Amino acid sequence: MDQITSALAPPRAAPKAAVSGTPSEMPGSVTKRLSNELMTLMMSSSPGISAFPKSDANLFEWVGTIEGPAATIYAGLAFRISISFPSNYPYTAPTIKFETPCYHPNVDIVGGAICLDILQDKWSAVYSVQTVLLSLQSLLGEPNNASPLNPDAAGLWNSPEAFKIQLMKHYRPLTDAST
Amino acid sequence: MATNAVRAQVGAKWQESFARLNRGEPGITGLMAFSEAWTLVTEFLRPRDITDPTPPKQYNMQQVRAAFDIINKCRRLPVMLEVFLDDMRKCQHLITREVEAHMTLYETTPDPDTIRKLVFRLVEWYNAWLPIRERVTPVLGPTIISAYTLAFQTHLFSVLPPTFAGGIKSLVAASLVHVASQPAGPPDMTLWAAFETLSLIDRYETLIASVGYEFIESYVLETCAGKWTEPMLATLRTWMVDRVVPWMILPYARGATNADEAKSMMQGVGSRFDFHLHKTLCDLRSREIFDIIVDFPESVGALQDLKECLQRVDQRAELVQALRRANKKRLLHPGADTKDILTQYVSTIKCLRIVDPPGVLLFKVADPIRRYLRDRPDTIRCIVASLVGDGESGDSLVDESEPILPLQQPEMENYSDPEWTPEPIDAGPDFRANKSSDVISTIVSIYDSKDLFVKELQVLLAQRLLVVKDGNFDRERRNIEILKIRFGEPALQVCEVMLRDMTDSRRIDQHVQSQNATIMHPTIISRHFWPALESSDIIMPGQFQALQERYAKEFSVFKPDKVLRWLPHLGRVHLELELDDRKIDADVPPLEAAFIELFSDKDVWTVDDLISRVGSVSRSAALKALATWVDMHVLKEDDENVFRLLSVAEEPGTRHVPKPAEELPSIVSVQQQQAEQMRVYWKFIEGMLTNLGQLGLDRIQTMLKFAPGYDQTIEQLGNFMEAARREGLVTVKDGMWKLGR
Repeated sequence: MDQITSALAPPRAAPKAAVSGTPSEMPGSVTKRLSNELMTLMMSSSPGISAFPKSDANLFEWVGTIEGPAATIYAGLAFRISISFPSNYPYTAPTIKFETPCYHPNVDIVGGAICLDILQDKWSAVYSVQTVLLSLQSLLGEPNNASPLNPDAAGLWNSPEAFKIQLMKHYRPLTDAST
Repeated sequence: MATNAVRAQVGAKWQESFARLNRGEPGITGLMAFSEAWTLVTEFLRPRDITDPTPPKQYNMQQVRAAFDIINKCRRLPVMLEVFLDDMRKCQHLITREVEAHMTLYETTPDPDTIRKLVFRLVEWYNAWLPIRERVTPVLGPTIISAYTLAFQTHLFSVLPPTFAGGIKSLVAASLVHVASQPAGPPDMTLWAAFETLSLIDRYETLIASVGYEFIESYVLETCAGKWTEPMLATLRTWMVDRVVPWMILPYARGATNADEAKSMMQGVGSRFDFHLHKTLCDLRSREIFDIIVDFPESVGALQDLKECLQRVDQRAELVQALRRANKKRLLHPGADTKDILTQYVSTIKCLRIVDPPGVLLFKVADPIRRYLRDRPDTIRCIVASLVGDGESGDSLVDESEPILPLQQPEMENYSDPEWTPEPIDAGPDFRANKSSDVISTIVSIYDSKDLFVKELQVLLAQRLLVVKDGNFDRERRNIEILKIRFGEPALQVCEVMLRDMTDSRRIDQHVQSQNATIMHPTIISRHFWPALESSDIIMPGQFQALQERYAKEFSVFKPDKVLRWLPHLGRVHLELELDDRKIDADVPPLEAAFIELFSDKDVWTVDDLISRVGSVSRSAALKALATWVDMHVLKEDDENVFRLLSVAEEPGTRHVPKPAEELPSIVSVQQQQAEQMRVYWKFIEGMLTNLGQLGLDRIQTMLKFAPGYDQTIEQLGNFMEAARREGLVTVKDGMWKLGR
């Protein structure tokens, strides 16, 4: 009997499958929020920042690209970052790391961890991928030397030529290799 | 030098001949009698000139018969026949003369009667020269007569000029007309007897048949051309039996002793004539088929005829050819309205279903039409418009009485069905029988998916809803319910929301009015569910602006989570203009209202100033709006682009009713929407290629599911990427795409 009734029922769940692949315990609202953020980000055309899910199966792992802002020491360089959203996003901040080594006072040169207040205690649910990426882009030009993760970089910040040498020593340009 | 032996032999011969001729009579009396008899018979038989006025010599038939007897006894008849034929040959110039005289006359005035006279005259000659008549002993009769007839005819046929054939034809035709016009009258046997005597029937058999064919043909063309309401075949068959068969008896059933014999003699030629009748009608209807379809359903009779003819005559291929040609020439060209093409297509479907229920003909004819329609940009719009019974013209494609059925998908053939029949023999390999599907399903199946229809339906519905002013949406609701049956409920959910928006708008408006009465009654629609409406940047000046703001404030109190975005250009404004000498009532679009309000500040404006006050509108739109007022004699264009308010009418009495400048709200068409969609997809592709490096087409396709509403196939994506490559946006290497830098 169950089979008959279920066969008669229209396949209502079908359209939802468009964002399938997310772990089943993940609430649908998070994927919805992430989809919307992706749409907003794609349509915003903010210069120099971009991000996209790493694979079609998982909307919670993204790859981003940040170009150094013009008229800063990072101008002309592009950095790859990884963004990992928690299952209770947006109530908890996403975890963001530099994949491209980035010589910067607030970035761990080895692990790529970032020291940015809005990614830690100042996080709020009104922030989005786009705002975070914009913050990171401006952080490149305006580091917070008061709380450095990379004391060497913080020390060199005021001597741009030495800083640039260190920066370029660690920097690896982006390749087109598919992730 | 003759030897005795030779002499003896000749003597013996002589004796023998003598004995035969003399028949043992005494002396040479026998020989004398023979000689007399010979002279008499030769004289008797000699062909005489029947034009000679002297009366023919009378013979004592007793004597003549006796003379023949004598010759016969002497076994001299064959020799006599030779002599007679020789004599006849000498007289043949008489016949030649006769033929030439008549034919010359005929060639100057082609009257079949001349030929008729000639035929009878020839029979006279024939009879006059006939050697052995009933009076004479018929011992050798048949041989002699056939030899004579052969000789006579051989000569006759050799002297008949080629025009004689034409003459005979018109004579036969005249006789056919004569018989057919008075079938009850006694048939003209004498002429056919004369033909028979001269064996003209055998000689001109094909000619006579062709007379019959042509007669049938001309009759069919005359009676049936352009007459499609009634089936004609039955009438034609009766006509054949009543009019043509009596004539056919004359040449084809000659010598028949009773009706059965006549019937069996005419069987072959009868079925040939019958076939010709069907073929002629079939050809005629094939030629007319396009107009028959245009006239449908008044032309059902012709279609039934055609069906019956096609069963008898195998002209299906010709019919398809004719219709395809006609369609190509008269229908599938840029001059034809899409609606007309659709109407004709629907009629074609209905007509060919009558002619050929399995649908093979339809399939073959429909293919070019469907392909052509697919290429037309406004086909979907037309179909959708007719689906919802657009317009009051009433000539909707859909028959009101036809039951509304869900769209049907082509089914697999069910071979276990006991009713199953193989496809007709002339069905092509890609023929699909759609046995029971209705007209709408057939039309919708022009396109591969029904999504396009649903989208276009939304656009159309949006237009219609926005022009409804009295809040009566029953018609639209009814249409949506009908369409739900056809397309299924899920496809029309968006339309449901649109309808709900309309009713909700009224409810909200009532609430807002109760809080803060205003003269403004907006329609509040959900942006997400409506097709993209063309936005405009009109900023309403003065009191309109104030009204909008007040309304928006009240709305935000009522629905705090929603924001109103105004589309002022879609509204209508009812205005009362108080001028110095008159009052004017007007119902105008907002831009017009905005302009006229500006004129209350000062009387003279230039177009550029006006435009700058209402935000950005195109110059042509502004001029059009101003023209409305000029037409109403409220404004006047003094100089070019300078308008002045006519506070006092300048031409009183010449005011005329303004023409309603109503337009459908501009809604972005499906194509524009698609282009917009592709722009969105491109952003996503750009995003993934920026962050994920180079990707294969499959990967791009799967990743694009993050883009909302992505519904393209991988082939379409491939084409799109190829287009992007041509523009230098991306490059491809080994199937991997990356952004062009």
